[in-house]
Formats: sequence, structure tokens, C-alpha cells
Amino acid sequence: MEFFLQQLINGLTLGGIYALIALGYTMVYGIIQLINFAHGEFFAAGGYMGVILLSFLAGQGYLQTHPWLCLGGAMLLAMVFCAFLAMAVEKVAYMPLRKSTRLAALVSALGMSIFLSNGLMLTQGVYDKPYPAAFSQGGFEFGNIVVSYLQIMIVLITIGLLIFLNILVFKTRIGKAMRATAQDKVMSALVGINSNKIISLTFAIGASLAAAAGIMVGLYYGSVNYTMGFVPGIKAFAAAVLGGIGNITGAMLGGLIIGMVEIFGAGYISGQYKDVFAFIILIAVLYFRPTGIMGENVDDTRV
Amino acid sequence: MKKKLFVLMIATLLVVPFLAGAATAKTLKVGTMSPLTGPYAADGNDIANGVRAAVAVVEAEGGIPGFDKIEVVPQDTACDPRQAVAAANKLINEEVVGVVGAYCSSSTIPASEALAEEDIPMITPASTNEKVTERGLPYMFRMCGRDDDQSKIAGAFIKDYLKAQTVYIVDDKTTYSQGLAENVAKVLAADGIKVVAHDHVNQGDKDFSAVLTKIKAANPDVFYMSLQNSATGSLMAIQAKRFGLKSKTVSQDAVYHPQFIEIAKDAAEGTFLTFGYTDKSKPAYKKYHDKYSGMFGEPGAYSGYAYDGAMVLLNAIKQAKSTDPAKIKAEIMKMDAAGATKQIKFMDNGDSGSDYVIWTVDGGQFETYWNPATGKLF
Repeated sequence: MEFFLQQLINGLTLGGIYALIALGYTMVYGIIQLINFAHGEFFAAGGYMGVILLSFLAGQGYLQTHPWLCLGGAMLLAMVFCAFLAMAVEKVAYMPLRKSTRLAALVSALGMSIFLSNGLMLTQGVYDKPYPAAFSQGGFEFGNIVVSYLQIMIVLITIGLLIFLNILVFKTRIGKAMRATAQDKVMSALVGINSNKIISLTFAIGASLAAAAGIMVGLYYGSVNYTMGFVPGIKAFAAAVLGGIGNITGAMLGGLIIGMVEIFGAGYISGQYKDVFAFIILIAVLYFRPTGIMGENVDDTRV
Repeated sequence: MKKKLFVLMIATLLVVPFLAGAATAKTLKVGTMSPLTGPYAADGNDIANGVRAAVAVVEAEGGIPGFDKIEVVPQDTACDPRQAVAAANKLINEEVVGVVGAYCSSSTIPASEALAEEDIPMITPASTNEKVTERGLPYMFRMCGRDDDQSKIAGAFIKDYLKAQTVYIVDDKTTYSQGLAENVAKVLAADGIKVVAHDHVNQGDKDFSAVLTKIKAANPDVFYMSLQNSATGSLMAIQAKRFGLKSKTVSQDAVYHPQFIEIAKDAAEGTFLTFGYTDKSKPAYKKYHDKYSGMFGEPGAYSGYAYDGAMVLLNAIKQAKSTDPAKIKAEIMKMDAAGATKQIKFMDNGDSGSDYVIWTVDGGQFETYWNPATGKLF
């Protein structure tokens, strides 16, 4: 039982991170039907921004005196930075291709992904960058179960961001405009919605969530490196597809499922097959429900 | 039009003497291959830099007679067997006199087959898998030790010093890490020590919470961590500490890297590692260390072996006064001199002997801990 609970907590942490990244994929897909393969790189850029800012603050001595304030500030700045980065990427790589085939935009996304990860390598170096140690240890112990502060923090921040996103998308005017643009760009433009602005905003929100995930991954695992965006990017993409790509609640659910399946697969069967289990679930779900768990039936007239 | 063509022809004629001038400057090309990008880039760049430092030392001492300069031709293997073969072919086209590399055993093995077809000597600074020198290739040399020796030392340490009853083994499924883990399992089984489980993780994984929870539940005396990469090692050490793992951690040469301590910080403390013994007070080591740290900062785990490998190659060419592979080999086999890392003396199969000892992390430094030759602490 202890073993099960410990693995459950591990799965929740990993799943939360996947969910945050998966949201970016799903939001962008929902609005312009593009799989943004550069999304994993926003996650990596966020992780790097975090290490740069926190190391700077640690050097100035602020991190030791006000750790939580520094972390909050660094996270906010990294999120803003990645939001701007994503908007720039959208302007350069996707906007000019909006009227061309989907394949062109997809290839452009792959190119952008390679460009960004190599850019990180050239500017930040090939060595792993360590995070300052202020948060890395400590936690609660219930018998044999260890719940570290970082795990609690990751779960809380993830839940907070998910609630914020749900309110933004389903309760505000901006959210309404986003949903309208996702349904029909021409029609929403006719009623006065600036679709370019809304698309830009969608990219910005998705990337800032990825940046938050990047910092949390950096803190939790202790370091970042320039290839860190690739594997989580693929997993989060699988999570988005599993949940039903284009559906926000589905992405959250998909992220959690992939995280849980990975941890339980590794915990109860074998660590070497954990990716296999994650993708078996994906294939099984897609076999029986091609649109994903929460995916709506694709209406041809809409696409 | 005709006039223009004429001018162009004259211009071409004028260029020729300069071309000839360039061609007479003879360059000795030394190849190096290692993972310069990807997850093993840290070790890969250490190797390339070690070769560069060796070339700088040789050039400062007057270079090699008959050549105006020595050029290092670095190639990226990305620790991918296919890319390693492509890198080997590129070096063949560049007409290098010898190659120092590669890092991953899974790259060195196929790359050496390609180089062997052209009789180009290859000296690996870091590939410890036994097969590297067991294929009868005449021009394959190894500066570092071998995994079968390494696993024996690890086994002896676990049995004689730690007096462990149970061991939990984890590897990350590379030719190197899995081979080493299996060797260790064999050695332990022969000593009657129980291997509770032999689990695997994937390369590039960051989250080891599932496997560490399993280890914690099994509560073995020793956790044997066989990984291809020091950064992965630090991730595992950090998470192990967070889970409150009580087992002693024993790891190996690929995790022995300053980065391991830099990232894992206090979580690295008390980890035991098998790595070759280097006497850091020797003049040869000091000469290397001064040159390397002046050029690239503190050396990594395999910089020294790469430096020695390049030195062996360049000195052999100097002695042989030729770049003929057979003559280079004859000179290499004659060597018996103090290198930066170890006494350089090759055996018939191309190995230069293993000198593994147990190191530990103490106060943010790698310190020698246990000497298998005497069975005592240093």
C-alpha cells in the first residue's frame, strides 16, 4: 500500500508536468490545427530562463533570504519571456504560412524546433546547467512515504495554472474570442474579433505554461540541458492526442494518464518499458476512440 | 565577352603560384571523434579538448619534423553508431594519420571497423567495453581500462569493504552500461552476494521516482548505478536522496565527472565510483593539467586519457619519422613512459591495462577511497 501511494504521488507530479506542456499543444491545435513541434523548446527555454534568473538572484544573495519571492519572480519573468518567444516564432514561422497547406506549417514547426534547440546549445553550451540548491531537498514523511516540498509545489502550481486557464478560456471575453476563432476564423473576424491577435495570444498562453513546467522540471530534477524539450515534448504531444487534441480538459486528463501509466508501468513491471506502456495506452485509446478520450466528433463542415 | 574570358584566364594563372605555396605547407591531421552534441556532449567535448591540449603541447615543443603544423579534425558521433561510422568515413576522406575516440563503446566498435579497412590507428580514450580490443583489429588501442576489470574491482569493494548481502542493479541499456552491469552481476553471483533485481531505465530519462521507490522498498545494502552519463547520475542521486534511500551507492567511470558533483551537490556525497588511478603529483600530470586548464578550464573525466591518446599517436609519428600505420604501431608497442594519467605500455591486444580504484565524493571533490591492490583505504 505504501508502495502504491508513493508511486501515485510520483505519477501525479510527472502527470502534472506533462499536462502543463500538453495544454500548449492542444490550444494551438484547437485554434489553427497546427501541431506546434517547437513547443517542447519553449519548455526548455523556460527552464533555462529559470536557471539564469535564479543563479543571478543567488549570486546577489536574495535567493537565500527570500527564496519563495525569488522563485515567483523568476517564474513570472520566464513565463513572460517564453510568451514573447512564442509570439515571435508564430510571426516568423507560422503566420506567413497560414494560407498554405498544413504540411508546410508542420515542416516549418519542425525546423523551428531544431533551430531553437540548437540556438540553446550555442548560447548556453552543451553542459547541463545546475539549479541553485535552495529548494531541492526537504519534505514530509508519512511512514515510508516521502512527499517532497517540491512535489507539493509542482502539484499546487499545476492545479493553480489549470484553474486559471479554465477561467480564462470559459469565463472571460478573451476566452470567448478564442473559442470563437477556433470554431470559425472567418465568421469570428466578421463579428469584429482580431483573429491574428487571438492566435498570437493562444501561442503566448501555451508557451508560458510550458515555461512554468520548464522551471519546475529544472527545480525538481536539479538541472536543465538543451535537449530537455524533446522527450517531454513527445510525451506531452501523446498526452494531448490521448485526451483528444484541441480539447483543454482532455489535455489535462491525458497528461495525468500518461504520467501515471509511466510511473506504474516502471514501478510494477519494468523501468525499461515505461515508454512502451505510455504509448500502448495511446494506441489502445485511439483504436477505440480515434478522436481521443474527450475529443469531439470531427465535423467535416467545420474543418 | 572574349576579352572578359581572357582576363579571367590570366587571373586563374596568377592564382596558381599561390596555390602551390599553400600546398607545400604540410599539415599533419589528427582525427578525433566523440559526441560533441546530444546528451553526452560534455564528455565528448572533454575528449576533443584533451586532443587539442596535446597538440598544443607538441607544437610548443617544436612540432613534428616534416610537418609545418598539426591540425585537429573533430567529428561528432552523437553516441550514435550510424553517425559514428559516418564520422569515421569523413576522417578517412580527410586523410587523418590516426583517430582519438570515440566515447561510447557502441560508437567505437563500428567506427573502428570502418577505420580498420584503411589501416588507420584508433586510440579510444573512454570506451571500456571488453569487445573494443577483443576483435583482433591490429590498429585498435585503448587508453582507459576494461569493464571486466572494472566490475571485478566493484565486486571486490562491495564484498570485502562494504560487506553487502544484497545489491540492486540499475543500468540505462547502452552497450557500455548494460555490459558493465551484467559483469558486476556475474561477479557478485560468484561471490554469493544476492542481486535483488536488475532493472533498467531509458537513456534520456529524467524521472527515476518509480525505480527509486522500488529500490527503497527492496532496501538493498548496495545500489549499483550503471549509467552512460554523469548528468543522469546526478539526477538519480538527487532523487535518491530525496526519497531517503539508505543503500550505499556504487557507480562507475562514466559518472566520474566534475558535472556529477556540480549538479547533484550534497546528494553526490558518499557515492562510490570505480575510476582509473591517476597520481596527480607526477610532473607529466602537472604538465597536462597546466596546459589543459589554461586552454579550457578544469579537465573532465576523460580529458586526460584523450590527451594521453593523442600524445601516444604524435610521439609514435615523431619516433617513426613516418605516418605509415605499421611503423606507428611498432613505435606504440615499444613505448614505456609516464603519461599524464598512467604508465603508458600497451599489450598485444591494444589494451594498456586497467588501474581501477574506488573513489568517493567527499566535500565536493572526488577523492581516492579504497585500494583494491592492498584491500585498504588510501
